[in-house]
Amino acid sequence: MPKCTINGKEIEVKDGTTIMEAFYQKEVPIAHYCYHPGLSIAGVCRLCMVEIEGMPRTQIACNTKITEGMKISNVSDKAKDSVKWALDFHLINHPLDCPICDQAGECGLQEQYMHFGKYEPEMGQGKVKKRKVVDLGERVVLDTERCILCSRCVRFTDEVSKTNELGIFNRGDRSEVGTFQDKPLNNNYSVNTVDICPVGALTAKDFRFKQRVWLLKNRESICTGCSTGCNVNVYFNKGGVYRLKPKYNSDVNGHWMCDKGRDTYKHLNVEARLTKGKKTEEGKTTECDAGELAKQTAQLIEKIKKEGGGDSIGLIVTAQYSNEEYAAMFELFKIKLGSNNVFYWINNQKTFEAFDGLLYRGDKNPNTKGLLRALSKCKFDQTWDKLEEKIKAKQLKIVVVLGPENQEVYPDISEKLKLLNSVDNVVWLTTNQVLGTELLKSCWQIPVKSTIEKSGTYINFKGLEQKIKPVTNIVSGALTLTEAAALFAGDEIPFDSKTPVKGERVWNEFFHHRGDL
Amino acid sequence: MEVKHLTEHYDKDGYATIKGYQKLGGYENLKKALKMKPLDIINEVKASGLRGRGGAGFPTGVKWGFLPNNGEPRYLLCNADEGEPGTYKDRLMMERAPHQLIEGMIISAFAIGSPKSYIYIRGEYFYPKSIVEKALREAYDNGLLGKNILGSGFNHDMDIYSGAGAYICGEETGMISSLEGKKGQPKLKPPFPAIQGYLGKPTIVNNVETLAAVTLVIRDGAAAFRKQGTEKSPGTKLFSLSGNVVKPGNYEVPLGYKLIDLINIEGGGLKPGRKLKAVIPGGSSAKILNKEESEKATLDYECLAQMDTMLGSGAVIVIDDTNCMVDLLGVLMHFYHHESCGQCTPCREGTGWLEKLVNGIKSGQGKLQDIDLIETVARNMCGRTICALSDAAAFPAMSFVLKFRDEFEFFVREGRSKIKGTSYAKMHH
Amino acid sequence: MFKLSNKGTEFVKNELSRYESRRSAILPCLTLAQEENGGYINAEIISYLAHLMDIPESQIQEVFMFYTMYNKKPVGKFHVQVCCNISCAMNGGRELVQHLTKEFRVNDGEVTSDGNFSFSRVECLGACGGAPMMQVNEEYHENLTPEKAVHVLKNMAKGNSHGS
Repeated sequence: MPKCTINGKEIEVKDGTTIMEAFYQKEVPIAHYCYHPGLSIAGVCRLCMVEIEGMPRTQIACNTKITEGMKISNVSDKAKDSVKWALDFHLINHPLDCPICDQAGECGLQEQYMHFGKYEPEMGQGKVKKRKVVDLGERVVLDTERCILCSRCVRFTDEVSKTNELGIFNRGDRSEVGTFQDKPLNNNYSVNTVDICPVGALTAKDFRFKQRVWLLKNRESICTGCSTGCNVNVYFNKGGVYRLKPKYNSDVNGHWMCDKGRDTYKHLNVEARLTKGKKTEEGKTTECDAGELAKQTAQLIEKIKKEGGGDSIGLIVTAQYSNEEYAAMFELFKIKLGSNNVFYWINNQKTFEAFDGLLYRGDKNPNTKGLLRALSKCKFDQTWDKLEEKIKAKQLKIVVVLGPENQEVYPDISEKLKLLNSVDNVVWLTTNQVLGTELLKSCWQIPVKSTIEKSGTYINFKGLEQKIKPVTNIVSGALTLTEAAALFAGDEIPFDSKTPVKGERVWNEFFHHRGDL
Repeated sequence: MEVKHLTEHYDKDGYATIKGYQKLGGYENLKKALKMKPLDIINEVKASGLRGRGGAGFPTGVKWGFLPNNGEPRYLLCNADEGEPGTYKDRLMMERAPHQLIEGMIISAFAIGSPKSYIYIRGEYFYPKSIVEKALREAYDNGLLGKNILGSGFNHDMDIYSGAGAYICGEETGMISSLEGKKGQPKLKPPFPAIQGYLGKPTIVNNVETLAAVTLVIRDGAAAFRKQGTEKSPGTKLFSLSGNVVKPGNYEVPLGYKLIDLINIEGGGLKPGRKLKAVIPGGSSAKILNKEESEKATLDYECLAQMDTMLGSGAVIVIDDTNCMVDLLGVLMHFYHHESCGQCTPCREGTGWLEKLVNGIKSGQGKLQDIDLIETVARNMCGRTICALSDAAAFPAMSFVLKFRDEFEFFVREGRSKIKGTSYAKMHH
Repeated sequence: MFKLSNKGTEFVKNELSRYESRRSAILPCLTLAQEENGGYINAEIISYLAHLMDIPESQIQEVFMFYTMYNKKPVGKFHVQVCCNISCAMNGGRELVQHLTKEFRVNDGEVTSDGNFSFSRVECLGACGGAPMMQVNEEYHENLTPEKAVHVLKNMAKGNSHGS
């Protein structure tokens, strides 16, 4: 455990720690472009120069290991001069087109030249011209002139995605990053290269020119695209959500997330959402308030229960909701309604166990583990066949569906709707408008909140519990399932509650204190 | 006076064949070495003070001593990627005495316990490569390579790898990258090649002349080897003399030999009527010496270091008074700009910037502050990159501007070269 | 469609197992492909080699673009490379290449209309003692004068392969 000082402050680090890692650990700012904690050390940008007492030359922090008694500074005149010059060299051939560059506001180069006040490059002669707006397929656009050749993206496709599409071609200041013959960068992790690009060389087609980054806020959440549960930062403003970026979590996703996961914000925005309660009866649709519709559902349920008992009420569950919501809904069915007719709707079962070796899993639900745990706790173990049987036998008078938030990964929705057609009353809780519900005899759609609008706990494929907080509010009238469960039970709740405290309590009582039900 | 130790038999017919080589005592050193303990060979090489002949002048025995004892296979690589402008001695050695190199390599491999070696030859050296290839086959045919060499129980395989045109592959880790089938980009150090080199395994890289000289150390012993040269620069060395001399060529002289003697005695002096203006003493990357310095300099590591330049690869480039220094710096800056591998920002950008600055002056567009800027840019390229190419570009730039500032200022003021009748002036005016 | 000869394919196979790492075969295989393709390499050849060698195209392209001996466009039957680095520059290397391109009526980097010659300025080839010099295909020619160089090249065009 060598001791050293960083800018005069004494610290102790583990053996083998580099100066860069020590700066990170102590959260001391240090400029760098090529270093990335998720990639191998390249040592090429030469920006992380530090002065080490007793060494005649400044050294790079990323490849220098700390030894006992080292006195390190990145604020000494000598260190600052080295960094300034490294920056000058970066700037001489850079187009400095920040006003039209989508990276502006989150650009490492911009940040540094503003820090050093270098608004004009030192070189008077003509700059090296390189290719611009190179189309790299579905998701990524490349500007080789803005590229500072830090090689992060190349190392990413070599070391992480192991797809090897990117390379740096030619040499010297003619070097250009790219793919062979501009072939598309169509691997499922391609946008990570955009995230790690310190400048505006690689930009995401989906995001570029949509918003200036300084107009966005970001909050932590998780990706609901599959059972990995990658940690993300959600970038949003009043206009909605604009992008997801991975947030480091060594237990889950490291530094990365997949491209498919990035698309999952799209169904969160208001354009795609169900914003009002919808009652479709005999082909006619009327709109109403979500809470109101939930209350009507409560009355309907009560009536049906009186007439045919709890077992004439069914519940279909997808694995896209939080533990707390399952707890609230299951408590309602098991205890208040006395129904055991809870059925697990599994999507794309064939690919459930698939895994690409990195992050992307065949189970496209964020909380399968949580749902399974809740089902088993309540001993809800009826198979789908049983549901079909009971529908055919007209035993179910009403079915409540906890529909998928991400309908894209539920290719069997229309098939399920066909099955439900012979049920007299269907109540579909959903974030998004469900296509085809007009075919049902009677379908009430109640808008519910999406993952980023509520707090909740999700259990990923390996059993890790991840608790998230609400990011923003998109459909204000929508309910959480916890709220819906309360309303179905006839309770009064304030509709604007963002934190379903009750659901959390119920979950805790359900799974941590009470014994078997 | 030339002292021919390494090159003693270079002019003899058939020396490049195994028969001719063996007739003159070839492979006797190997026989002797195989009876020695590997550690004793390393110690003998250490004691000889033999320094790397490729350019850096690092003590060979010390380098070998860096290898870890971790049981991993280690590789010996011969650096025959001769590319430092002014240097053409390795080519001569491979053409005239390929077996001397192979013998030196087998001895070195035995000393460091290496089962496999490569000779990395620059791609343009088709002819030298063909000679070495033939010699290698002969060595295999005569039981000097392969399994159980000369009954010693030592196994060693040797192969040749061709470069494909890149100066940077002369840098030892650039060469390793190239041998691995990649761009010849130098590797970040640490780890040094002796710890993690070729494919991450311990690796020793030595120059052609260094490996050939190992045969002399074995033949004569360290003490005899030290009889030539100076205390800190023992032995003889090949110097590639070029530029404006009457008899350019490769000359073997003891280290410590007077630079001016090499020019006047071996090189036959300058052409009639020409005056000495400057000498680049150690390949184009070495800082230039003016006339007075050249007259004082001796060809050894310590004297040239003291004069703030270097012995480098031993390429002595003689420049007479008909040359325009602005023009020649332009030639060199074009070279380094062309050859920078592009990894490290200061070198990638700085080499281009320096060429543009010199070209600006050459085209008559230069400003006086550009002269200072050349110096400043160059200074800030020094010691800030993975390898020494950045420094190699900066050294000529800084020293040309420092020592021949009047020519640069004249060019800026007058928009033309101070030197009349130069080849450059003839071409452009 | 580019395809290596049977001998060439065999060579590639051997090179892939010759070195400790398969990737090391990239350089020699590019050299061979260039030879079989008449002196230069294009994208089709890179793709072909990538497929044949089972090595990513980007890795081969990186190597191809890095080294100067892989020609990026067609060259003449006699590819003439004239050194213009320092020792040659001081001894007329630059005048030599100017003279040759003028004499053979062709620009730097282009091929003469009869397909015989292409000229390029190159960096140090390690023949500084014989400056100025040129490399014609694989062969060095040293201690040249413009006249001597023209003579050598014209003889080559006549079918005297060494030019003397």
